[in-house]
Amino acid sequence: MKPSTVKIKKMPSRFKHQVPKYKVVRSSACISCGTCAKACPYGVHERTEGHNKVKPPIDYKCIGFECKNNDFYCVAKCPRKALSLTLNPMYETLGDYRWTADMITATWIMAETGYPPERKDLEYNTGNSGGGFDKLRLKFPAGRPKVDKFEISTEIPLNRRNDGRAEIVISTPVYGGGMSFGSVSLPTMVSKARNATIWNTFTCTGEGGYPEVLEPYDNHVITQVATGLFGVREETIQRVKIIEFKYAQGAKPGLGGHLLGEKNTASVARMREAVKGTSLFSPFPFHSVYSIEDHKKHIDWIKEINPHALVSVKVSTPNDVDMVAVGSYYAGAHIIHIDGGYGGTGAAPDIAKKNIAMPIEYAITKVHNFLRDEGARDAITLIASGGIRTAHDLVKAICLGADGAVIGTAEMVSLECVRCGNCESGRGCARGIASTDSELADLFNEEWATQRLTNMYHAWNIQLVEILQKLGMKSVRELVGRTDLLEHIDYSK
Amino acid sequence: MDNVEKIIGSRTEICSQVPPLAQNTDEEGGCGVTGFICSIPVTGKNIFEPSVQMHNRGNGKGGGIGAVGFVPEALGVSRQILDDDYMLHIALLDASASAEIEDTYIKPYFKIDKAEKLATIDDHRSIGLDVRPPDIMRYFVRVKEDVLDKFIADNNFSSLTRRDAEDEFLYQNSFKINTHYYASLGEKRAFVMSHGRNMMILKIVGYAENVVRYYKLDDFKAHVWLAHQRYPTRGRVWHPGGCHPFSALNEALVHNGDFANYQAINEYLRQRSYYPLFLTDTEEAALLLDLWSRVYKYPLEYVIEAMAPTSEMDFDMLPAEKQELYKAIQTHHVGASPDGPWFFIIAKNDVQNNQFQLIGITDTAMLRPQVFALQEGEVQIGLICSEKQAIDATLISLCREDARFGPIADKYWNARGGSHTDGGAFIFSLQDTQNGKKLICSDKFGKVIQTPQDKVVCDVTKKITATEEFKQIEDKLGTLFAERDAQAATQNIFTYVRDSVGGFTPDALRFCIETIADYARKKDDCKQIAINALTILNDRRYNTGSIKRSSLQHVLKISLDEIFNATPLITETSNSRFSQIDFDSRDQLREPQNNEKTLVINAEHFEPEGDNCDAVMIVKAFKLGWKRFIVYKYRGQRFTGCGFGPGTPDVRIDIYGASGDYIASGIDGMEIYIHGNAQDQLCQIMKEGKLVVFGDVGQTFMYGAKGGSAYIMGNAAGRPLINAVGKPRVVINGTALDYLAESFMAGDPLKGGGFVILNGIGFDDSDGSIREYDSPYPGSNIFSLASGGAIYVRDPQKKLVDEQLNGGEFAAITDADWDLILPYLEENENLFGIKIERLLTVAGNVRTPQAVYRKIIPKKATAHVVEDDDGLEE
Repeated sequence: MKPSTVKIKKMPSRFKHQVPKYKVVRSSACISCGTCAKACPYGVHERTEGHNKVKPPIDYKCIGFECKNNDFYCVAKCPRKALSLTLNPMYETLGDYRWTADMITATWIMAETGYPPERKDLEYNTGNSGGGFDKLRLKFPAGRPKVDKFEISTEIPLNRRNDGRAEIVISTPVYGGGMSFGSVSLPTMVSKARNATIWNTFTCTGEGGYPEVLEPYDNHVITQVATGLFGVREETIQRVKIIEFKYAQGAKPGLGGHLLGEKNTASVARMREAVKGTSLFSPFPFHSVYSIEDHKKHIDWIKEINPHALVSVKVSTPNDVDMVAVGSYYAGAHIIHIDGGYGGTGAAPDIAKKNIAMPIEYAITKVHNFLRDEGARDAITLIASGGIRTAHDLVKAICLGADGAVIGTAEMVSLECVRCGNCESGRGCARGIASTDSELADLFNEEWATQRLTNMYHAWNIQLVEILQKLGMKSVRELVGRTDLLEHIDYSK
Repeated sequence: MDNVEKIIGSRTEICSQVPPLAQNTDEEGGCGVTGFICSIPVTGKNIFEPSVQMHNRGNGKGGGIGAVGFVPEALGVSRQILDDDYMLHIALLDASASAEIEDTYIKPYFKIDKAEKLATIDDHRSIGLDVRPPDIMRYFVRVKEDVLDKFIADNNFSSLTRRDAEDEFLYQNSFKINTHYYASLGEKRAFVMSHGRNMMILKIVGYAENVVRYYKLDDFKAHVWLAHQRYPTRGRVWHPGGCHPFSALNEALVHNGDFANYQAINEYLRQRSYYPLFLTDTEEAALLLDLWSRVYKYPLEYVIEAMAPTSEMDFDMLPAEKQELYKAIQTHHVGASPDGPWFFIIAKNDVQNNQFQLIGITDTAMLRPQVFALQEGEVQIGLICSEKQAIDATLISLCREDARFGPIADKYWNARGGSHTDGGAFIFSLQDTQNGKKLICSDKFGKVIQTPQDKVVCDVTKKITATEEFKQIEDKLGTLFAERDAQAATQNIFTYVRDSVGGFTPDALRFCIETIADYARKKDDCKQIAINALTILNDRRYNTGSIKRSSLQHVLKISLDEIFNATPLITETSNSRFSQIDFDSRDQLREPQNNEKTLVINAEHFEPEGDNCDAVMIVKAFKLGWKRFIVYKYRGQRFTGCGFGPGTPDVRIDIYGASGDYIASGIDGMEIYIHGNAQDQLCQIMKEGKLVVFGDVGQTFMYGAKGGSAYIMGNAAGRPLINAVGKPRVVINGTALDYLAESFMAGDPLKGGGFVILNGIGFDDSDGSIREYDSPYPGSNIFSLASGGAIYVRDPQKKLVDEQLNGGEFAAITDADWDLILPYLEENENLFGIKIERLLTVAGNVRTPQAVYRKIIPKKATAHVVEDDDGLEE
């Protein structure tokens, strides 16, 4: 169930032409009769009253060849045969095997409408990577009990330790990943926080400080303590309900960070309490943590500063991630957040992405089973991230043993990121998302971005509820660890 | 074939019986380790307290004790049997295995001089143990003559000494027991805990101190004790097979850390017929030690070099013949040197040289905490621990048992791993002399560590005998306390005692200190003055004449504790400026009333972390309006000063006792004074404020700090100021182990950025005078990868070289630089009595700052040379 704060509103693309799947061309034979505009229910054709001509087709709204069977199919309807429909050759340049063009397009549609696309021509639940979640399919056994949609809960609790600290329940089993001030624009950061508030879930500051403008959303912000300790102050730790230790990032485990001097602008420097123009390094380890008992001490420290907050431990997925997880449980963490190698924006080096960390689908099960065998599974929340692109990925992750997931790229795509992969250039993001350049950052406003995110979360939630309904489950918590509901297409009979 | 080949070859058969074992170790991280060696045998009670101190370094799922050098009577054997026999300790996880092992592996081969089951308490649950510790069978044995003859003949061991052959027989026999009753079984039945001479190892699933309780060792005496608190990550553990210590023959080894190259070492060992059976890197370390020392017969120095190879600039600093030797060792064994954070403590019965030893070795990157300490006098003791509070706890426990021990060591220090200066290892050797046993401490290279020999100790257990001189002292102090200006009074009392102590008898000194303390008790007006005067006397370094400094500190500690103890409790209403709170009265915490200004906290029973730690209570007190705090009787409690939140300019905390980790982390404006050595992770993310440490400071000091100032009287351990940004300003009077100011990003100090002043000086142990170190910074890395900030290093002899700077460069000191650092050196003088004039004095002559200090700044990024060649030119 969505929280009452969630209001769905159409929020169209900022651009007249996205990268559409189809090309609808109107030839000079057109007499501007307006038949097509009257026929098309998707708004591809517009004829404004009083204008001489029909507007050029907005082809990203077109549902493509499947429309042939409709009686409103414009190409057939046109009395002058002035319209033609073809695949857009540009479409092939969009996306990649992991994030296919269809998946990006579908995410845009979700962000625009708040619902999963109804058209059949987009394969958006799985990608084309040839591995990972793309090889897994959901199974829907017959004979499941009938469940009313409105009875289905998508809530999950984050504190299962029963230790007197904040009892936090999020309304949908997803929250936003850490993206630091400086790596994304301020409107992006604020919109993520506003959406987290609307959806009663969380977003994360990343490493790089806690801008004051996030204050109204404090109860839905996770502040990160990462290896560089930039922007970490007692008051930032005391402001929030969840503090996340970032030990490593699945996209680049074992590698630190390096913010070039020229990107350390006055505002970035102020936020990180650094000196402007100085190159900033995040080391690859926590220099104060070289063992499990150091780790416990580290957590104890944060708990001493904020006696109510929960502690999340974000780690990548090395071979012994199960040991790391159980160690974090014994060290007093509430959330273990495992970050696999599929994720990462353009800022992570290509050599590291997908090549170092263990695939997340293996790691989740490994950790889930190990925690269960230790008798600790019910006392800790397991969150997976690193390549959760769709609602189906989310469901698969939960079936493998996670309680919920953290998403990063999916949020960016909702804001019309095209995954060009040039995030590390920092100021030059063509879409004004991963940028601190004031002009680029003005490419969208917070209203627009917040609604896009809210819509996308809504579409995911709808898909999640539909799946639960098909499985006859009343709560997403029943889905945890149900690997029997998954099949691997290479091995399924 | 040489002897090594023969020994390795003789194991072919037994190694072939080892079943395939898992390739992974049980994961474990850091742990708590502690050990000490005494010139007299002392009871197991004394390993109890330090083990309790290290609880938070373990998780109660594995603890172990090692002991070496017993009293024959206590074991019911003769001196000769104790010295000559092997003490075989077999842990029975399944009691029914006992007879079978005895019939198959003991009786046929050994002459048994004594066999017994170790006494235990009745119910393990009564001391909180979930898993019943194993029954232990102890056998005093020698290999039967005919068995040994056959073993020597079969293996062609006639070129070995008979004892060496017997040692090997024992090793192989225990290996067989472990293979058949432990490694090859799912349900483990038994294993050999230890089999060395005059030593034992006991391990349980539980905290280490419960070994002492369970096996009733409270009054059992030994010369060397070792304890280990384990932190296995896996939750359910039902037997202590994987616990430390581990042993191969005559030594017990405990380990804090983990190896990244477990597999590589495993291969190396198996190629030499050592098959680890317990799946932990600690066992590998014990086997390496056995291979190198017993089979290869390497001297200890070689063993240490093989474990922790000397590298980088340290290697270049070695004399040529050492370089040649070490290169040979490294060529052969670098593949087996443990990689990763580790710190070993080894207790050893060195039968070859007829001595007991306690050895501490740290890894080359110094990633685990370690402290060494030495106390000499009528009785001597050497200590090695992962945290200083464990050392203090040991000494306090010993001094309760025997007044010849004092609660404060004469010397505390750290090792610099893989270095040319101390080799990263120290060895305490207990040798027989005509006057009983004598303890000698040396580093890897054999350089002896000594404390001043000709000094006396104040016997605080005796009553003071008054002499005529006392009246004079009383009168003088009377005049000094009459001074109205409190600061002047404090300074004058300090000066008077400092200048008179050389002429004082121990009793006169005690009388003088007690008289000062009396003023505090009698008049509230005098209390702060007395506390300050006694504190300065404790903190500063000066000539203590014929009296040992550690003894003077003991006397001062007694008086200061008495003053604090006598402070009215929070539950009382008084007109004092001080109010006291302890663990029992913590719930009565209230806002300050009447004249109350300072909250005195007796930290003794507070927990080191969690909801019941004193740091949490101090934050509550601050919220109620308290701003001045004195915390005493610390024993490793953590996080002092953390959690206050932003803007705390008027807060001051004074800390006495063994303070813990993370102090002053995140502080924003307050001042913290640590009257003694400090531990690890201090001042992380510090924003503003001041930390003063009247001693050394531990690992990763000021990691990620943004600002504030800090003054360290002694040395810093590894990685000080790593990743610090903004404007932190620090004076370190000693030096740092290594990696000072790595990734320092503190802008330009002349434009408001941060800096470190490194003086490279220490104090003479005998007369307290200032001495220059050989080099102000012996480590191989300083200012690596730094992009901002500066280091001002006192280096008149230009000992620092370019090779130490990975990304930094030397720059000339300008007047602006001197003007910038002068106020910090003035405050340094004010706090520690380290005069600027003395700092500028080189070989007796006062020089200019430019001739004494050097500045290290980030190298300007050299622009990449753009290559014109685009590959298209013909």
